[in-house]
Amino acid sequence: MKSRREFLKHFSLVASSGVFSRPLLSWASSAAEQGAPAIAGEDRMIVRSLRFLDLEMPPEFADSWLTPVPHFYVRNHMIEPAKIIAAEWTLSIGGQVEKPVTLKIGDLSRLEQHSVINTLECAGNGRGFQNPKVPGIQWQRGAVGNARFSGPRLADVLQRTGVKPSGKHVMFRGLDQIPGNVPPFVRSIPIEKALDPDTLVATHMNGEPLTHHHGSPARALVPGWVGAASCKWLTEIKILENEFEGNFMKPGYRYPNHAVAPGGTVDPNDTHPLTGLSVKSIIAGPSDGSKLKTGSIQIHGAAWAGEAEVVKVEVSTDSGQTWNPARLGNEHQHYAWRLWSYRWTPPGSNEYVILSRATDSKGRVQPATADWNPSGYLYNAVDRVNVHVQA
Amino acid sequence: MFKLRLIAIGLLWIFIAAYAGAQTSTVELPAGPMQSKARTGCAVCHDAHILVQQRLSKAAWGKEVDKMIKWGAPVSPSDRDALVEYFSNNFPPDKPPYIAQRSAPNKR
Repeated sequence: MKSRREFLKHFSLVASSGVFSRPLLSWASSAAEQGAPAIAGEDRMIVRSLRFLDLEMPPEFADSWLTPVPHFYVRNHMIEPAKIIAAEWTLSIGGQVEKPVTLKIGDLSRLEQHSVINTLECAGNGRGFQNPKVPGIQWQRGAVGNARFSGPRLADVLQRTGVKPSGKHVMFRGLDQIPGNVPPFVRSIPIEKALDPDTLVATHMNGEPLTHHHGSPARALVPGWVGAASCKWLTEIKILENEFEGNFMKPGYRYPNHAVAPGGTVDPNDTHPLTGLSVKSIIAGPSDGSKLKTGSIQIHGAAWAGEAEVVKVEVSTDSGQTWNPARLGNEHQHYAWRLWSYRWTPPGSNEYVILSRATDSKGRVQPATADWNPSGYLYNAVDRVNVHVQA
Repeated sequence: MFKLRLIAIGLLWIFIAAYAGAQTSTVELPAGPMQSKARTGCAVCHDAHILVQQRLSKAAWGKEVDKMIKWGAPVSPSDRDALVEYFSNNFPPDKPPYIAQRSAPNKR
């Protein structure tokens, strides 16, 4: 265990390396006067934390097939690394391989490029709706976004080294700066998922090079899985015989094997690592608490199901007594969210509760109440907004 | 030598507190005898946002504070209980939810 002095030494090194002096968060005086922090590259995001930087997409932005990068949620477990110069960046690959290699950005761009439109969602999205409350970022609807990620397939990258038959898990390490004795944000995925032709070492997002907040110059992209699998600022890939053992694999990012009574405790040995996302829909509009005029109202949003496909979204405008099929958007791809809409003419002036409920190709249906768990993972209860309609 | 080191550590914490203050000018921890120690104890990693949004029982606050101390948060053992008390008094489960700020529009 590090002594307090070593910790302070580490911190002072971090401080002197310029992390705190670079304008990650620039405070425009006008914005500060209005109480809104200006964050480079980010637009009207819900601020869950400035340090570490954690930003949530407001639900009204879930209205486009591809989420613009300034609206795409940001989740950092640690201090962001100082800006990385792509030309100086390296990715080392070792462990249970035939021939360890160190790759540069040019080596990645020379491999065949592949794109996957993927809905990335933080495992803790919706934690703020859990009851009883659990510690952690109190995300509501928007720790999710849908983007086109591009880069070489991880399988092609691993072909450069060869994988020994003993290699069963693939560990990712990012360049996140680790404060104090905090365990590093290192996780692993099983080799089968790593070799899936849609698992990438992504260098681009929506056709542009990754921005710093999203892991530039390269990140893992593990489609359909919780966001934590898609390690940012990737610098090391290690092939392991066993699942990586570290805080962010256990006790972090695990789900109980059995239902837990709300507020109950779970034996860490009776849990499994989180993998694929749940089936879920959110309402982008109308916004919760909005006041609307009578007449035709467009209820719309997005729905996703991790590795499965969304097959149906239903909308209720009477607190769940009756459900009506929403129209699904034309754009769809395996791991991408599906936009949906439902045109509604309220019968008169009143308070209404609007709900949305998605069903996927595995037969999973968004539940009325999400399963409670001590870390608030995979919250996916039917979404709900209250509106006031007046003539 | 020891004195110099103490002064250096003191200056460092002043720097950390000043830095934390600069980044939390719109969100601040509530006033109270532990406000300053809460700020310096958490500021290496966190600004106030992540704290003010929590709604936890005293036992849950205790668990979080202990985890952070284990991970290097500079909290003196003699301050631990008072810090847990401060957080659980200010951010209990029945307090109304925190309304988060939004970042400024991107003018690009």
